[in-house]
Amino acid sequence: MDNLIATGLIGISLGSQYALLALGFTLIFGILGVVNFAHGGFYVMGGYVAYYCSVVLGLPFPVAVLAATLATAALGWLFETLILERVIEDHQATLMVTMGFYLVMATAILLLFGPESPEFSFPITGVWRAGGAYVPYANMVVIGVCLAAIVIVYWLIYRSGIGRAMRAMAEDRAVASALGMRTRALFPFAFALATGLAGLTGALVTPILALAPHVGDPVLAFSFLTVILGGLGSVAGATVAAFIVGMVEAYAAVYLGGSKGALALFVLVLLILVVRPQGLLGREVRRA
Amino acid sequence: MSNQASITRLPQARRPALLGGYEWATLCLVGFAFAVPVLTRNPQILSQTNLILIAATAALGVYIMLRMDLMSFAVPAFMAIGGYTVAVLSLKLGVTDAILLGVAAFVMPALCAVPLGWLILRLKGVYFVLVTFVLTEIVQLLLFEAAPLTGGSNGLVGMPAVTLFGIELMDNSQVLLTTAGLAFAGFTITALFTRHFRYEFTAIEKNDVLAESLGLACWRYKALAFSVAAGVSGLAGFALVNMLLTAHPTSFAPMSSVSYITYTIVGGKGAILGTLAGAALLVTATDLFALKGELSPGLFGLLIIVVTLVARGGVIGLAAKAAGRMRRASPAAPARVAPIAAVQARGVKS
Repeated sequence: MDNLIATGLIGISLGSQYALLALGFTLIFGILGVVNFAHGGFYVMGGYVAYYCSVVLGLPFPVAVLAATLATAALGWLFETLILERVIEDHQATLMVTMGFYLVMATAILLLFGPESPEFSFPITGVWRAGGAYVPYANMVVIGVCLAAIVIVYWLIYRSGIGRAMRAMAEDRAVASALGMRTRALFPFAFALATGLAGLTGALVTPILALAPHVGDPVLAFSFLTVILGGLGSVAGATVAAFIVGMVEAYAAVYLGGSKGALALFVLVLLILVVRPQGLLGREVRRA
Repeated sequence: MSNQASITRLPQARRPALLGGYEWATLCLVGFAFAVPVLTRNPQILSQTNLILIAATAALGVYIMLRMDLMSFAVPAFMAIGGYTVAVLSLKLGVTDAILLGVAAFVMPALCAVPLGWLILRLKGVYFVLVTFVLTEIVQLLLFEAAPLTGGSNGLVGMPAVTLFGIELMDNSQVLLTTAGLAFAGFTITALFTRHFRYEFTAIEKNDVLAESLGLACWRYKALAFSVAAGVSGLAGFALVNMLLTAHPTSFAPMSSVSYITYTIVGGKGAILGTLAGAALLVTATDLFALKGELSPGLFGLLIIVVTLVARGGVIGLAAKAAGRMRRASPAAPARVAPIAAVQARGVKS
């Protein structure tokens, strides 16, 4: 029973990480219509910026996390304005440039920091125990920050003027710009917001899991899983799906072992894509 | 000759030339690989040629699907099916005949692609990309999980050398001959296939809804192409397994599909010669950077971005443009029939 609860808590912790990653991914698809292959790259970059700030420069960990978020957001903004914006109407071209950018990012990180994973651990240690269940404080901090970030993103999208403009553009870019929404400012903003979320997740999670130049590949795969499950472009769907994926992964890892959990998820996602491309909760947000 | 005349005349002219200029040039170049072992014994050149041929054959799977504007990440999945089919046949059933194995490496993935294609070919654009990516991940996980058949994380090792008419093909140069044979088969199949259905594919690429409404049974051509692409990828899988003498899941990693896409796009997706040119250029470039091997993904990434932003036709597109400019400079340039008219004509007929 205790084991069951402990596993559930791991699932929630995984789920909140996936939710942050998937939120960014689904925002980019929903608003810009772009599948961001570089998402994992921003996650890794977030981890390395946080590592550099906190370990090499000796800054406090929260400052390092903030720096990672801002740096990834800034790079995302630049990438959108300078490269992505020029091919934004052609889905195949956007796919190619984000894929290319991911390769460039991964190589740059490899050149700067080398292939070995650096010594980078969460500054808060210790375990919270309730009954027989143990939860590391680090995971609780991650859950807390992720939930807070999710709330902020929701507020931004559903309650603020910027969010309304972004949703209008997701629905119909031409009409929205005719009504005075500023595509040129909002697209980079949405992209930066999303990559900033990926950087934030990377900064928080890599000290717990692992930091190495190649850890972005599985992140990309799981972001795919989550957003397809929830419905490409659907914000609520991505959040719910992230927790489903986190739970399945946690329980499958404990009770089934190996990669059976991942296999089950991928098969489920393949079927969903075929039968219900709009995902579990989604309506068709954007015609691809 | 006016365009009107060509529209009314073309549907009767159902027998186009078997292959076009690009196809002949490509096949000649691939065929030249047979001569490499005779010309040199340099193991560096032999292995380099081997790698280029495998990469180019794998990239054909991407090329075929891109002819219909579908970006496929499924190449490693079908390479794995082909490669493992060969490994299982030779290790567990003792089949070593290269021709038999080659046929199996083509047929098995092609058959697997039929039900899969039925499932996923209704998707387009981004959704097709995602579903093929997911498919490759699934195959990768299955290779690890189905240990009794695939050897799991150990892979299948200790394969006997393949034989041709009873002769063992064992050393470096003979392995290259096997690869050359497989690559030549793959390129010939692809060239004939894409050439034969070129109007149908172009119609689907430009606008599949319109093509469908004009009476073209799009799903039939898509399913056929998916199957052929899978078979050709299977040949590449055979060549790879034969070169390494092992079948291991890491040889068919999902992210390797990015490389095959890169070869096709950088070389130029407009002609079959592009995949060969792309593979040759980029595999050689990877080798030049071999001292700092980690650099090559970055180079690939940079090239993808540059080609997408400034040279959509890739290397072949640039070369064709340059050649066209030179031809225009010379006064006796022959007029060419607008290809789009021919496409429309053929689309109505099918």
